[in-house]
Amino acid sequence: MSYIRFEKLCKNYGDKQVLKNIDLEVEKGTLVTLLGPSGCGKSTLLRCLAGLETVTSGKVYLDGKDITNVSPKDRGIGMVFQQYSLFPNMTVEQNAAFGLKMQKVPDAEIKERVSKMVDIVGLHEQRKQYPNQLSGGQQQRAALARAIVTEPKVLLLDEPLSAIDALLRHSLQVEIRRIQQELGITAIFVTHDQEEAMVMSDMIHLMYNGVIEQSASPTELYTKPATKFVASFIGHYNVLTAEQMKTVSGQSPESETVAFRPEIIAASKEPIEKENAYMMKGRIAVSLPHGNIIRYAVMCGGVQVDVDELFSDKEPFQTGDEIYLAVDKGECIYL
Amino acid sequence: MKKKNTGAVVAMVLILIYLLIPLIISVIYSLFSNWTGIIPKGFTVETYAKLFRDPDFLASLGRTLLICVIPIAITIVIVLLALFVTVIYFPRLEKYVQIICMIPYTIQGVILSVSILSMYVSNKSFLGNRLIMLIGAYCIIILPFIYQGIRNGMRAVNINVLLEAAEMLGATRIYAFFKVVVPNILSAIIVSSLLAVGIIFGDYVLVRNLAGSQWQNVQIYLYQAMKSDSMKSSAVFCVIMAVTFIIAAVVLYLQSHEGKTAQKAE
Repeated sequence: MSYIRFEKLCKNYGDKQVLKNIDLEVEKGTLVTLLGPSGCGKSTLLRCLAGLETVTSGKVYLDGKDITNVSPKDRGIGMVFQQYSLFPNMTVEQNAAFGLKMQKVPDAEIKERVSKMVDIVGLHEQRKQYPNQLSGGQQQRAALARAIVTEPKVLLLDEPLSAIDALLRHSLQVEIRRIQQELGITAIFVTHDQEEAMVMSDMIHLMYNGVIEQSASPTELYTKPATKFVASFIGHYNVLTAEQMKTVSGQSPESETVAFRPEIIAASKEPIEKENAYMMKGRIAVSLPHGNIIRYAVMCGGVQVDVDELFSDKEPFQTGDEIYLAVDKGECIYL
Repeated sequence: MKKKNTGAVVAMVLILIYLLIPLIISVIYSLFSNWTGIIPKGFTVETYAKLFRDPDFLASLGRTLLICVIPIAITIVIVLLALFVTVIYFPRLEKYVQIICMIPYTIQGVILSVSILSMYVSNKSFLGNRLIMLIGAYCIIILPFIYQGIRNGMRAVNINVLLEAAEMLGATRIYAFFKVVVPNILSAIIVSSLLAVGIIFGDYVLVRNLAGSQWQNVQIYLYQAMKSDSMKSSAVFCVIMAVTFIIAAVVLYLQSHEGKTAQKAE
C-alpha cells in the first residue's frame, strides 16, 4: 500500500479549478517530483498535502490515515518553502530547535539532535548565526535542517532552490538527494526545472493545467513521453505535425504528431545516406552554445528543427550554413 | 558637489539652532536668577534642588510616567490582536481597521474629553472613574500612531510565510504570531511607543479636563508653576525634557543591547 495517496482531489479558487481529480500515490522512502510550468497546480497540490490549503473535494491519505481535514500542525509533515522562511530573530540552531520545542522534546535531546542535523547540512560553523548573516544557499540548508530534525513523516520541498544561483543550485540538488537517501525520508519536491527534476527524483509526476500528464521515472519520461505536452516540456523535443513532417522530409508519418530529440539528429554539410530515416535539408538560423553542446535552430522549409551537436574541436556549423539532417525513424516518438 | 555639501551643512546648522535655542534658553532661565543684561547672572541650582525636594512634583512626575505606560501597553496589545485577526483570518477587513484606527487623528483633545465626560461622568460603574476615563482617552489618542507604526513594521516581514513555517513545525497560529512575528517587529513597536510617550507627556487638555484635580500630573504642575515662578517653571520644563530623553535613550539602548546579547548568548 502506498504511503501517500491523493484520491480524486479537486481544488477550486472561485470558479477556477486548479486541481482536477488528482489521483496520485507515493511510495515510502522515495523522492518524487511534481514538475510542470508555472500555474499548473503543483504547489497547490503540495500545499493541500501540507494542510495549508483546504481541498474542495477528494481525500488525502498519509500512512493509511485520512488527513484531509487534519490541521497542518498535527500532520507531522516538514516543509521547506520557496521564499526564505527562517525566523529572523533566531539563530540557525534556534530555528532548528523550534519544531522540537513544539514537540516538547527534552532540552538535552534537542541539543543533540539539532547539533547532529546542523552538521549533516554542513552549517556547523554558522550554527550561531542569524538568517541575515547567511547566504541564500545557507538559509535554505538551515530551513532543510529545521524541517527534517523533527523526523517528519514526509518532507515537502516547494521550489526551495529557485532563488539560488545556478552553481550552488546544482550542488544543493545533490546534497538534498544525498540527505534524503541517507535518512530514508519520503520527500515530495516541486519544481518547474526539468533538469532539476531529472537529477533528484525517483519518480516524476508531470503536471499541466491541473492534471497529471504523465507519471514515470526520469529516464522513461525523457525517452518515452506520453503526450505532446510532455514531449515539448521534457528534453526540448522537436514536436512536428504530420503535415510539417511532410514539408520538411517529404515523407508522411503514420501518426498525427512526431516527436524527436535534438541530440538524435545527424547533421552534416554533405548529403547524408541513411536507411529508415527522415531526411531533411535546411539553413541554420541561430546557433546557441549551451556549454557542452551547441543548439542549432535549423529552418527546413519554414519549419524550425532544433539540432544539438556535441561541442568539440571540429569547426561547428556557422549561422547561414546549409546543412543536411537525418532523423532515425526508430528514435522518433509517434503521438 | 562641495558647494552642495556646504549648503546642506548650513541648512542643518540653521535648523539645529532654531530647534535648540528655546531649549538652551529654558536651561539658562532655570539656572540663573537674574538676566536683565546680555550675560545672565546669579547662577544657582537651588531651583532644581527645591524641585526634587518637593513631594508634589515627584508625585506628579510619577503619575505622568504611570499614565504613559498603561495606555501604551493596552493599545499595543489591542492593535497586535486586531492585526493578528485581520492579517491572518480576515485580510479584507484590514482597510476598515485602518480607517477606525485613523479616526482619532481628526478628533481634538477638547472635543474628545468633553464627549467622554458627557458620556461617562454619571456612570456609576468603574467607567465613571476619572482615571479610567483618562486612560481610555489616551488609548484613543495614541491609537493611530501605534497602529501605523506596527502595521508598517509588519509589512517589512513576510508574515504569511513565517506563520506557515511555524505552523508546519507544530505551532499554533497565535503562538507563532507572538513568538515569531512580534519579536521581528519589536523595533516598530518601540518606535511607536516612544511617539506615544511624547504625545502623552505633551498633553495638557485631556488630563486637565478629565482628571484635573484628582490626578495632578507634571503638565498640570508645570502650568501652576508658570503662574507663580518663571525660574521654577523653566526647571520643570527642563526636567520633563530630560525625562523624555532618558526614556527614549534607555529604550533604544535596551533594544540594541538585547540584539547584541541574543547574538552572544548562545
